[in-house]
Parts: sequence; structure tokens; C-alpha cells
Amino acid sequence: MLRMSLLATLAFSLCQTAAQAQMSHHQHASEAACEELELRCASKVTPAFASDGTLWLAWMAGGQISVAGSKDQGRSFSAPVQVTKEKLKLDWGPDARPQIVVEKSGGIALAFSIFRDKAFNGQVLATRSSDGGQSFAELRPITSDNESQRFATLGLDADGSVFAAWIDKRNRVPAQQEGRKYEGAGLFFSSSKDGGAVYAEARLASDNTCECCRIGLAFAGPGRPVVVFRNLFEGGVRDHAVMTFADPATPGEVRRVSNDDWQISACPHHGPSLSISAAGTYHVSWYTNGKARKGLFYARSQDEGRTFSDPLPLGRADRNPTRPYVLTGPHGATMVWKEFDGEKTSVNAMTSHDEGKSWSTPVAIATTTDTSDHPLLVSDGHKTYLSWMTKADGYRLLPIGDGS
Amino acid sequence: MKRCLLAAIFLIASLVAAPAAETPSELKPFVRGSWQQMLRSHAGRPTLVHFWGVTCGPCKVELPLLGKFMKDNAEVDVVMISADLVPNLPGAARAMLEKAGLGTAENWLFADGFVERLRFEIDPAWQGEIPRTLLIARDGTVTTIEGSAEIPDLEKWSAQQKAAAK
Repeated sequence: MLRMSLLATLAFSLCQTAAQAQMSHHQHASEAACEELELRCASKVTPAFASDGTLWLAWMAGGQISVAGSKDQGRSFSAPVQVTKEKLKLDWGPDARPQIVVEKSGGIALAFSIFRDKAFNGQVLATRSSDGGQSFAELRPITSDNESQRFATLGLDADGSVFAAWIDKRNRVPAQQEGRKYEGAGLFFSSSKDGGAVYAEARLASDNTCECCRIGLAFAGPGRPVVVFRNLFEGGVRDHAVMTFADPATPGEVRRVSNDDWQISACPHHGPSLSISAAGTYHVSWYTNGKARKGLFYARSQDEGRTFSDPLPLGRADRNPTRPYVLTGPHGATMVWKEFDGEKTSVNAMTSHDEGKSWSTPVAIATTTDTSDHPLLVSDGHKTYLSWMTKADGYRLLPIGDGS
Repeated sequence: MKRCLLAAIFLIASLVAAPAAETPSELKPFVRGSWQQMLRSHAGRPTLVHFWGVTCGPCKVELPLLGKFMKDNAEVDVVMISADLVPNLPGAARAMLEKAGLGTAENWLFADGFVERLRFEIDPAWQGEIPRTLLIARDGTVTTIEGSAEIPDLEKWSAQQKAAAK
């Protein structure tokens, strides 16, 4: 009997070990192909073209942020430069990603967020390279406030200054002290006149916005940043809003993009995308699961966001369309998103040559059979490219036809 | 792994009556096929399936309420699935479940990097927002509650299930 129960114990402990090994294997397997710092191990990759045609990538891999450049459209890269000096608790939220802008002079501004504590409060760190990406300055918090910041987005203004917007929870502190309920987080902004080395004091653009989604940023003209964000409207409705700044220090009014009526006390983790054409058309794409509509949508505005076209549904509803991205270029507007058919994820693309009034038939331009980053669009000033990191097939940069 | 566990359980059950090897807060790895497996194992029984995650703010409020619901509604099977949009960490998930009185619920943890596929198996229209609750009646009818559930609604559903069984 003793021998038999020993046997049982042994069998059970073996199985437990197997179970734990399986769990840790799966944990390990998560989003990335490997745990090292190289590009092929990245879970998030953000692209930017320099004016000389160099493609710069900033990526998250192995708990660090690295940067490398490619002069042959992503076929080969310069030796990666580590922006972080140690493994950090990088913000791994689905919509979090390193931000990169490349100035005309070749300077590179970067920003990304880390989790500063176990409660997942964030901190946005920024840095700059003034030697063409060979080295980066010491990381500095984008703001001196110590509460929580996430989802920073950077944009390069016409005068070379860097505009930054992010989600910031500092206003919950005074609210809690006064016993008031505080919903969501504030949309804060700042700008840097020295290419992203030092940012001006952060200011509030709009309070009580959704706390867990990326922000769309573009410029309506020199010195006129425009942000699209998931707002918290009356009654906890997480619909999208647009704000056009009068200048980089003066926020504008909050205007609703669409009345989707998505009331949810949960985090969608699925933010919008914004691009503004040379003619001034605002192109916005977003996800909602509201009472009025569900799925991915696109709308455009020709009056700085005062009114928008009727939302145009994107993708096949039975294929879970997600992660829309829109970008305008000299040859029109391009839109991409992901779909999943039960086995593989595809990136679907379509183009418009009439300021978004009509769009080509969507075409699947890339697929993968394991997990993948959001599909992003990037322009070198001539062509628009899909930039897509996949676990199974690595990083891809694909030129997108103009659909004509 | 499942076969292995079954073998161990069989061995132990055949040898000792005392539940010495009981693991109250086991977290089952939720992988491809787990959803159908879970549905089959609860077929014909009223089942509450709750998707949650340790980084989800509203979940922190809702979990203890669900713990109490489980205690008060023994005839409802409670299945908790950690489906956070960030890596699901077993240690943190287990601690939160135990604190909420849900250590003895049927607990699963997303354990596949290809979460799109996992979610597609559950509901092709679900993009991963949590919390999310599915109420599965005896006849298989599913009621989906997005965001935090109201406990009185759950109690009402539970009472209906009880009445329907009589």
C-alpha cells in the first residue's frame, strides 16, 4: 500500500511538473517569436521614413527598445542601437507601442511607456538621437508628474518641433481627495522645441477620456495638431472625438466623430487612426461595439471635424475586422486592417483617389498563421507601405499599389 | 497532460479516499479546443462563464461579487477564464481569484500567444474587451453581458434556471 501511494504521488508530481512546464512554455510563447533583443523577436514595431529615404524602426523585444535603419526598404538593417540600457517593464498593452519621428535634419525623437508599479501605472519616457541614430540620450520622463501616463503619440510639426499627446491619470488624485468619482483619464499634451530632448510643461487637452486606447495624431497645417481619441461621453459612452488645436499650446473643442453609443465599463484597448490630406480632409477609422453600430468604421470630415460623413463599415463582419489604420499620401488615401478567418490573419487594404468619397475593393495583401502586431502604414513621401510585424514571418514592409 | 492528470487522479482515487491531492486553485491552460471542451463538460447545466484579467480595473470590483454569487448559487457552474490583453500571469491571477473567493471555481488562463484564434473559437465578434460574462442556460441558450455584470441580473437568471429545472 505504501509503495502504491508512493507511486501515485510520483505520478501526480510528474504530471504537475508537466503542467507547470506547459504553462510556462505557453507564457513564454506569448506574442514574440523569441526573447532576445533583435527585430525578429519584436512584439511591436513602429516605422518612420527619414527625408533621405532611410526607413527607421523602433521596436520592443526582450523587454527593451531598439532602433535600426534600412536604406533598402527593409531588406537589410544597420546594427541595432539599444535605447534602453536595461530590461524594463515595458507597457505591453495591445495599443501601446514605441513612438518614433525623424526630423529633416536626421534627428530622431522617441517615446515609449513603461509600467512603473504593480498596479500598471505607467510612465512615458522620451529620448533623442542627434547623431543620426547612432546613439540616444539618457531617457527622461516626458512629464515630471508621478501619477500615470500611457499611450504617448509623437508627431513632427512643420517647424521641426515635436508634438506629444498621451493619456494621463494625474487628475484622479485631487478628485479622490475631494471624494469625487473620477472616470477615465486626461488627454495631456506637450511639445519639444529641441527635437524631443526636453518637453514643455504638460497641459490638459480634455479630461475624462478613455484610459486604454491609442491616440490618432496628424496635422491640419503648420502648428495645428489634431488628435482623435476614444472619449468618455455622458453616461460612460466610449465613442470617438476629434480635437483641432488652434496652435501647439491651445487645445480646441471636443467634437464627436460618430454617435455609436458604446456604453461599456470595460477597456476596449482598441484606439482610432487619423490622417489629414493635403486638401485638409480628416480621415478617421475606428472600432466600436455600440448600440448604433458594431465593427470597424471609416468617416471623413471636410470642416475640421465639425461634421463627418456617415460611417462606412470596413471588412467582413464574420471575420472579426480589427486594428484599422489610415494614411494619406500624394497619390490618395490608403486604409488597412486585420481580419481573421479561423486559421489565418490577413491584412486587407483599400485605396481612395477622391479624398475618401469612394474606395477600391479591399484586397488581402499579407497573411500570417500566428499572432501579429497591428498593421501600420508609412509613407516615404512617394509610396505608401504596409509595415507589419508577425511572430511567424518576421517583419514585413510591403509597398501598396494605388488601386488604380 | 490531460491524460496524465486523469491517470494520476485514477491512481489516487483507486488508492486513497482522502482528497490529499486536491489542488483548489488549479489554473487550466486555455488553448485551442479548450472552449468546446469546457462547453461539453457543462452541457445541460446552468453555467456562468466570466472572462477577466488582472489588469482590468472593473474586474477588480466585480470578482469578489462573483465569488459571493458562486457561494450563494451552488447549482450554477462558475467558470472563470483569465483572458487579459497582456500576458496572463498565473501567480497574479491565482492570488486575485483566491482573494475574491473564487479559488475553487473552474479556473482557466489564456495560454496561447495566438489570442485572435482563441477568441475566434469563443465568439468571432469578440475583440477581447473584459470583463465579459456569458450565461449559458440548461438548453444551451447564451446571454452575453459586456462589461461589468449587475449581480441582481445574475441572481434573476439563476432563479429562472432553478425554476426551469423543477
